[in-house]
Amino acid sequence: MHRRPPAATLCLYLLLAGGALVMLLPLGWMVLTSLKTYPEILRHPPAWLPADPQWENYRTVWDGFAYYRFFLNSCFVSVMVIAGTLLTCCPAAYAFAYCEVRHKEFWFALLLSTLMLPAQVTVIPLFKAFAALGWVDTYLPLIVPAWLGGNVFGIFLLRQFFRTIPKSFIEAARMDGASEWTILWRLIVPMSLPAVLTVVVFTFLWSWNDLFNPLIYLQSEELVTLPVGLLYFIARAEQLTGGSIGQHPWHLVMTLATVMVLPVIALFVFVQRRFIEGVAAGGVKG
Amino acid sequence: MLSRILEFLAWLAVLLLAALGFWWAGHQRHQPPADGRTEITWFVPITPLRDLYEADVAEFERRNPRIKVRVIWVPGSEYNSKLKILAAAGQLPDLFFTGDVWMSYLLPFKRDVTDFMLRDAEEIGLDDYFPEISAAMQLHGRYYILTEYMNLSLLYFNRRLFAEAGVPEPEDWWTWDDYVRAGQALTRPGGPGRPGVWGSSRVEGWWGEWLIYVRQAGGTVFTPDGRRCVLDSPEAIAGLQFYYDKSEKHGISAPAGFEPLNGFVNERVAMILGGHVNYWLNYNQMPGLDWDVQLLPEGPVTRKGGELAMAGYSVSKTSPHPEEAWALAKFLTRPEAIARIVARGSLSVRRSVAEAQMRDARPEDRPRNLAAAYRQFQYGEHIPRHSHYIEIMLQIVQPEVDRMLLGEFGPEEAGRRAAAAVNAFLATFDTRDP
Amino acid sequence: MNTRRADRLCFWLFAGPAMAGFAAFSLWPMLYSLWLGFCQYEVIAPPRFIGLQNYIYLFLHDPSFWASVRVTLVFTVVQVPLALLAALGFALLLHQPVKARSFWRAVYFLPSILPQAAYAVIFGYIFQGDGGLLNQLLALFGIEGLAWTMSATWALPVLIMMSLWAFGYPMVIFLAGLQAVPRELFEAAHIDGAGAWARFRHITLPLISPVIFFNLVMGVIGALKVFDLAYAFSITQNIPPGGPARATLFYGLNLYQQAFGFFHMGLASAMAWLLFIFIMVVTAINFRISRRWVHYEN
Repeated sequence: MHRRPPAATLCLYLLLAGGALVMLLPLGWMVLTSLKTYPEILRHPPAWLPADPQWENYRTVWDGFAYYRFFLNSCFVSVMVIAGTLLTCCPAAYAFAYCEVRHKEFWFALLLSTLMLPAQVTVIPLFKAFAALGWVDTYLPLIVPAWLGGNVFGIFLLRQFFRTIPKSFIEAARMDGASEWTILWRLIVPMSLPAVLTVVVFTFLWSWNDLFNPLIYLQSEELVTLPVGLLYFIARAEQLTGGSIGQHPWHLVMTLATVMVLPVIALFVFVQRRFIEGVAAGGVKG
Repeated sequence: MLSRILEFLAWLAVLLLAALGFWWAGHQRHQPPADGRTEITWFVPITPLRDLYEADVAEFERRNPRIKVRVIWVPGSEYNSKLKILAAAGQLPDLFFTGDVWMSYLLPFKRDVTDFMLRDAEEIGLDDYFPEISAAMQLHGRYYILTEYMNLSLLYFNRRLFAEAGVPEPEDWWTWDDYVRAGQALTRPGGPGRPGVWGSSRVEGWWGEWLIYVRQAGGTVFTPDGRRCVLDSPEAIAGLQFYYDKSEKHGISAPAGFEPLNGFVNERVAMILGGHVNYWLNYNQMPGLDWDVQLLPEGPVTRKGGELAMAGYSVSKTSPHPEEAWALAKFLTRPEAIARIVARGSLSVRRSVAEAQMRDARPEDRPRNLAAAYRQFQYGEHIPRHSHYIEIMLQIVQPEVDRMLLGEFGPEEAGRRAAAAVNAFLATFDTRDP
Repeated sequence: MNTRRADRLCFWLFAGPAMAGFAAFSLWPMLYSLWLGFCQYEVIAPPRFIGLQNYIYLFLHDPSFWASVRVTLVFTVVQVPLALLAALGFALLLHQPVKARSFWRAVYFLPSILPQAAYAVIFGYIFQGDGGLLNQLLALFGIEGLAWTMSATWALPVLIMMSLWAFGYPMVIFLAGLQAVPRELFEAAHIDGAGAWARFRHITLPLISPVIFFNLVMGVIGALKVFDLAYAFSITQNIPPGGPARATLFYGLNLYQQAFGFFHMGLASAMAWLLFIFIMVVTAINFRISRRWVHYEN
């Protein structure tokens, strides 16, 4: 491995740190706001720093909000969605990358078209269908589509990555008598680990931050996920601060948003480490 | 061989876990009560009044042992979308909260409750409601809503800023000119490190304020039959002109986009024309904010023209239990319930509660001039009963008003363009009363 | 022949669930909405066939349709290249062997994971006219600020800037693509004396071209459909959807307003199909051009 000159290294770190400052600006503002009082957030022009950091805001959020309940609901939905996505998107991507069948491109284009139609117009027919199945107020409308290849983005992404793997690898494995299923899970998926983990992270984020679907399909408060819970909480926080519609208690909302983002950051850092290690391991084998 | 068995077992475990997950995902489906009680569902936006509603439901169930209420809380910002999606899918709850803004639009989903209303008139105390409110519950002489809540446009003012500037407080005989003069006397530029004060605010991006001026200048949005938009009439344009001039000519409110955020609670805006009773709670929370209300100033043609809007409960047309839903609606709007809502800071839809509110007011309560607030009733105007009213005002008219404020053209051109666009819309969509 | 039958079997076994899901959750709602596009459907009454009237209204009379087309095209043309460049640039930087690499990556990914509402509130504070953070900053240099979000000229650039903060998604995909480039190729090139630019141009770029292509296609689709950000911004800032004088009325937002704000489901379906066809054409062109510059291994 070659060495960078020290000046270049310095430049690199300066660039990274400068960019990081800009990137962290919204997050910093969020955390600072979470430590303010209600009159402070109404004050104008706003002050950067809270006069007296209100760590109690975190306690207020914890006490006034069934965080753990919504958190577990979100976890359950996310895990089921990720599992379904992996189990159906990987084989589908493999099929579109390696199986030679007629009209494959046509089928693929058809599948991709799902990404192109704005979701708003399919809401009502889908809602009617799920209502007819008696699935309203259950998690099934949120989960079942993921188990049927609902994440077309994932299929497309994985196909792009699978196609960068030389076909000779697969031919060799087929020669050894490995079944397609084994080739997929034992060879292709480990070799494309960064892509698979990317799909996991993105799927997690979408499902974790999804507001619209839980909002319309779930009715019982004890079933809702965190983003919907956040909206429930805004009203609750208004009661705590005595505020009302139009003048949201953003300090408490930001407190909750901070708490909501933490698990996502943790997952991302964890996956990133696997990401780097996984590739290093794959590189040795390759 | 061993590894193959292990692999098989691993996939089997995945399958089993998935099956378990699906069972869990579906098993929590809501079941009707097993004890034979009639269950009704009630759709409520979550507001700071939630604890009151929860207490009310418990009390209602205690008094009506044969009815079970399933309350479905919906985040306020998403309430209308969710309600409409459920309506479209034929899944409406038995009882839902809605306002007169949506009266025409949601009419096909509402049960005509005239029979209930007349039968129970005495129990409800129908004549206890202010006549303007009772009128707003009806469409073409039929009742569709039982009212709980209302909003009324008022003139809000900051007493401290008035005293500091040596300006006499607003009176009930004020006209636009008095309002402008006071606003100019109250406006002072900001110095270094000290933000300025504006005599008044100008609400942008919404029809709330400019529509008052259009009406007080003798204009309207629609012709009485609702088939044509007349925002290009000289009267309507005079109203838009005043809205425009507030900042550009009289200098009593901030230029477009510079409206101070939360200006009234930060004591950087001395008067608000219009406002919302929802904010009373906020105002009373700010330490040292000494505020009061007065009748809206009189326009060149009339004093009438402030908003008078209300909200309450409608029974769904498809409800299998209209009697039970109606019983709950009556319970939620009984005088004690209204009194508790009003005690949190707002105006009452019932006369008896309003009288008690004025009688029991303490000197430190704000606003002090409740009498003026209730007098404003007679000058309020209902929202036009046009099923696409909100769409027309927000999507078609408002952008032209925005462009006027941004200086692209004057009020005359804004009124002309708005009317032309609305009339093109009306020609395509049949949007008269259903 | 044998392998072809095996291929067919494998294809339908592997892609079958996805195709079934497509038929169940996408295909028929799509066809249903195609039909609704020719109907007046205000939800309150059953759909009524009206032929091409929705399309005629959109093209000839609707004051918001062309405004939203313009906003969306400007957004796509400006935002997609900038976001891709930022994502690729920082992915290349973060692919370098630096200390605490996963920390840096997390930092750059962070803005992308904030809940939209929180994000919009924060940027509201920055771009406010009266006492906003940006204007405070400009005042230090003696520049008088603007009411950024209420200006018909600046509201769209501000939203574009906001969206650029969140280039984390394409960046992570680029990183995954860069990880997949075999290191040996670089070593060999380095020994051959190829400079940094030459290595990037002749090794990295061709090898990650499928990933660039993916990000480009998804970026264009996402930009043409963009909705969340503008919606969250209007809700949290109490600005009506579409901003001042329709300056930020994105096509997706306009469609949402028609569908759920005012329940012109028929009109919204017509709008959806126009967008659908447009995206399809753009994507097809993208795929066609991609044959010239995207390099696959197989």
